[in-house]
Amino acid sequence: MPEITYLQAISDGLREEMRHDESVFCLGEDIGAFGGAFKVTDGFIEEFGADRVWDTPLAENAIIGTAVGAAAEGLRPVCEMQFADFISCGFDQLVNVAAKMHYRQGLAVPMTVRLPSGGGFSGGPFHSQNPEAWFLQSPGLKVVAPSTPEDAKGLLSAAIRDPNPVVYLEHKHLYRRAKGEVAEGRFEIPLGEARVAREGTDLSVITYGAMVQLALDATEDLDGASVEVLDLRSLVPLDTGAILESVRKTSKVVVLHEATRSCGVGAEVSALIAQEAFEDLDGPVVRVTAPDTPVPFSPPLERAVLPQPDDVRRACLELLAY
Amino acid sequence: MSSSPTSAQTTVDVVMPQMGVSVAEGTVAEWRKRVGDWVEADETILEISTDKIETEVPSPASGRVTEVLVDVGSTVDVGTVLARIDTGAKPGEPHADEHAPQAGPAVAEPAAAEAGPLPEKAHPPEPAEHGGNGHGPPISPVVRRIAEEHQIDLSQIEGSGRRGRVTKRDVLAFLERRDDAAAERPLHIESPYRDEEPAPVQEPAPEREAAPAVGGEPLSLMRQKIGEHMRRSLDTAAHCTTIVEADMSRIEAARKSGREKLTYLPFVARAVIAALREYPMLNATLEGDRLTVHEEVNLGVAVSLGEDGLIVPVVHNAHELSHEGLAARIKDLAERARAKRLEPDEVRGGTFTITNPGAYGALLATPIINQPQVAILDLEAVVKRPVVVDGDSIAIRPMTYLCMSWDHRALDGALSAQFLSAVRRHIEEWSG
Amino acid sequence: MATTTARPAAIEDGGGASVDLTGDDRRALLRYMLLMRATEERALTLYRQGKVPGSFYDGRGQEAVSVGAAFTLGPRDRTCILHRDLGAHLIRGVKPGRVLAQMMGRAGGVTAGKDGNMHFADHQLGCVGMVSMLPDMALVTCGLAIAFQMRREPRVAMTWFGEGSTANGQWHEAMNVAGIRKLPVVFILENNQFAYSTPNDHEFAVDPVKRAEVYGFPGVKVDGNDVEAVFFAAAQAVERARSGGGPTLIEAETMRMHGHGAHDDMSYVPKEMVEHWTARDPIDNYERKLREEGFDTDEIRESVKGELDAETEWALAQPMPEPHTALEGVFATEDPVLGDGNAPWSRWQREAANA
Repeated sequence: MPEITYLQAISDGLREEMRHDESVFCLGEDIGAFGGAFKVTDGFIEEFGADRVWDTPLAENAIIGTAVGAAAEGLRPVCEMQFADFISCGFDQLVNVAAKMHYRQGLAVPMTVRLPSGGGFSGGPFHSQNPEAWFLQSPGLKVVAPSTPEDAKGLLSAAIRDPNPVVYLEHKHLYRRAKGEVAEGRFEIPLGEARVAREGTDLSVITYGAMVQLALDATEDLDGASVEVLDLRSLVPLDTGAILESVRKTSKVVVLHEATRSCGVGAEVSALIAQEAFEDLDGPVVRVTAPDTPVPFSPPLERAVLPQPDDVRRACLELLAY
Repeated sequence: MSSSPTSAQTTVDVVMPQMGVSVAEGTVAEWRKRVGDWVEADETILEISTDKIETEVPSPASGRVTEVLVDVGSTVDVGTVLARIDTGAKPGEPHADEHAPQAGPAVAEPAAAEAGPLPEKAHPPEPAEHGGNGHGPPISPVVRRIAEEHQIDLSQIEGSGRRGRVTKRDVLAFLERRDDAAAERPLHIESPYRDEEPAPVQEPAPEREAAPAVGGEPLSLMRQKIGEHMRRSLDTAAHCTTIVEADMSRIEAARKSGREKLTYLPFVARAVIAALREYPMLNATLEGDRLTVHEEVNLGVAVSLGEDGLIVPVVHNAHELSHEGLAARIKDLAERARAKRLEPDEVRGGTFTITNPGAYGALLATPIINQPQVAILDLEAVVKRPVVVDGDSIAIRPMTYLCMSWDHRALDGALSAQFLSAVRRHIEEWSG
Repeated sequence: MATTTARPAAIEDGGGASVDLTGDDRRALLRYMLLMRATEERALTLYRQGKVPGSFYDGRGQEAVSVGAAFTLGPRDRTCILHRDLGAHLIRGVKPGRVLAQMMGRAGGVTAGKDGNMHFADHQLGCVGMVSMLPDMALVTCGLAIAFQMRREPRVAMTWFGEGSTANGQWHEAMNVAGIRKLPVVFILENNQFAYSTPNDHEFAVDPVKRAEVYGFPGVKVDGNDVEAVFFAAAQAVERARSGGGPTLIEAETMRMHGHGAHDDMSYVPKEMVEHWTARDPIDNYERKLREEGFDTDEIRESVKGELDAETEWALAQPMPEPHTALEGVFATEDPVLGDGNAPWSRWQREAANA
């Protein structure tokens, strides 16, 4: 299998789906002739034409709202937010129209919204966010956050094929850094299935997205401790079985994410563990997350906010010693 | 348990209880509460040990512990005041005891507002103790669950976690050690027999005094008590051991046909009781020069407590029970023995004792008599052996050795052999 | 900008079919308006009897807008209907009983109790239901039209919104997208004079129909209380859209004759204004006109009454939903299928007969 980047895997996945199914089309700002701000759709307009690679005006509600209508009519739109942060401008269409459609009137809305997310590049408060928790509070949306090229491609295919609106978080840090072997052709990674990124027995780090690799690196050598890293992959639906299985094995849990702390995925995972695996715990469930601040611009400030390998290491060692 | 309000009307004494009629003194094994702690009525305040039993002492009243008067390890007479409780105090109130700075209300602390990676609780430094009641390092949910499932007294485990907390790993390691020592966990019964291992190698007299062992630990209170008892028995009785061989085929068949799969023990116990009714001289106690032959059979059964030692609860009026009844009683007593929930009378009044370490494959042993009884029967492994049956043919049969130590002061070898033969007869002719 | 206030000469559509109304069509227009009003009056009665939870909204006085516009649509056209436009639902085939059951929160309602009042749509009849945020559905309608356009299908999407929602940014996004892509969409702007209690002069400085031109498509103003005027304006827009001519914005001037909801006494509406619009009631005027032309309108009224009595009985017999169903349907397991709606206009009847 060829080794490709995370970015290439997303691009390949989208292209495969568009080749396979004429009802799949993509829409977003600057995705046509320019190939997208991150070049995910580079070359698409040449292959698929302007109809299926729609360079939209700067109007996020229009991108998502028209996608809802097109999806209801049987197309499978794939929306690109230029940055995840801009989803706020399309929020209404996503959480009120798309998310509630099937519940209210039994009408499925198969659409995917790609969110280039995450910080670490001095993107500042408007180009660095990890807004996934917003969507966990919006029943009817599925939310995925791949961490590897293979998952990026497989989850994108699954998101496009799913009959529901799926928020697909692609971490910008991984675009060109994450590389791996990815099967050619179409394949799906099922939504709602976590992946054990590394088996371990002493402590579990439960995480997703860009933090998976950070967790693997940070806990590779922790005084000989055997640290399991669980990659959630899907945040909705959440693989509660895999979480509880890991907790039952290790009894100590660090939940790690780049998004802010309060009411985040970590809070949800922690609450789940407290409720369902209390009698398996051998220490407090520990969260390592960004604090409740916007993502600042200046490098030392940004580093102070985003979880660093040392933060993870320290939290794990403290919990191991507990 | 008795308590007496003092003149202040708000202080209640905790006294050393009378744990059975023959017990005159007791030893403080562990304080579960310390000065300043809040204690609920009937909550365990300390553990004591007598020469009969270890037990938990429930608090006579709700209140705050104001004084602890007897240290761990001290032996005092029954009725001695061990601690005082102020019943006028309220839970959660700071108390005025100045020499107990560590004491605080045994209630949840305010949640730490700090959003650090690990919530640092503001415990003052204090020695490791497994109170689980707001003092000492906390017991985590998984540790508490495992301890309950496996009936582990966490105070036996040295914690490796923060401030000496017992971690899951600690308790699993403990369990593994214990399980290694006890392959069949549910009902492990073994005898208080003398160590038959070769004595420490008889080296030529050392040129110099052996250096004191580094890192040794004092024996537990229970081990000390067992040692005392065994030593005293060997010093007292004229031990003799007689052995017969028994064919367990009928019992083997009975075990398999029963509703519930039982061990050999209740069958053998039943056979022993039947034989004791035929030879009551074996169902006797000898104290000084007074021999008492008992009418009812109160059958002692040795129960292992793992590394801690063993205890011999007594099935009173065992002659009234079938083998199934015996099995149920033995199981109940063994479980409660391990949970330290035996009543004082349940370890008293035995007239004959059976010990059964056979599960580990040993063939023969010479048990030590449980004073003041006059005999103890050791049931060892049942193994298939070729035996001569029905004239001159050879058959494979499940066989065992019944080893009985008896006190030559009270009886002679012929009677012992007759008795053992009767036991064998009841076993081999088992008819339910 | 063209303004249509009267019946135009016969319009030729792209396929050459004449746009005209037969006697049966005109009877149908009156009947649907009467059915809408009767259903809403019955619903208000049920509300006052305590059988309708929550709040109650209706479209009294606006019957000609929804009926006149929706009557133009073919079966494979699609709609996103506003809460003042029950007539459009009835034309597409929703039975009044299901509407009443919907308002009462019954299992037999269109959303089976998941949503209330006029927040519904039967997707099997080609409608995507509205949300409370206005005019969100304008963009969804554009999305439906994008699908037609991408598949080169001669189909049209129609939506209704009030003048209040023209102040919202999403309205601009929808007009802009429709103009850029020349989408086959018909926007029906229902100017019923008030956004809740806010009058036109607080809502915009320039009549919003004039904005159509700057988005690159025609804006047409019609008398929203004249059902045939609305019909002909909409028919022209629909045929234009169907033949690839792009969107049209139709402003139908009308008056909301009830409060925003049943809780609203309209104290902010000048008395003379109410009197003025009462005299222009769309049903009274059309009924008088047809009667003068020799139609038996009493018979239509009787038939509406009979239908509604039966539908009400059916609605009241519907059970309340089982509580456990509240947890069902958050996620879809199958792809969407928008069905085709009823198309009572004689033109579609003729097409169906010829097919």
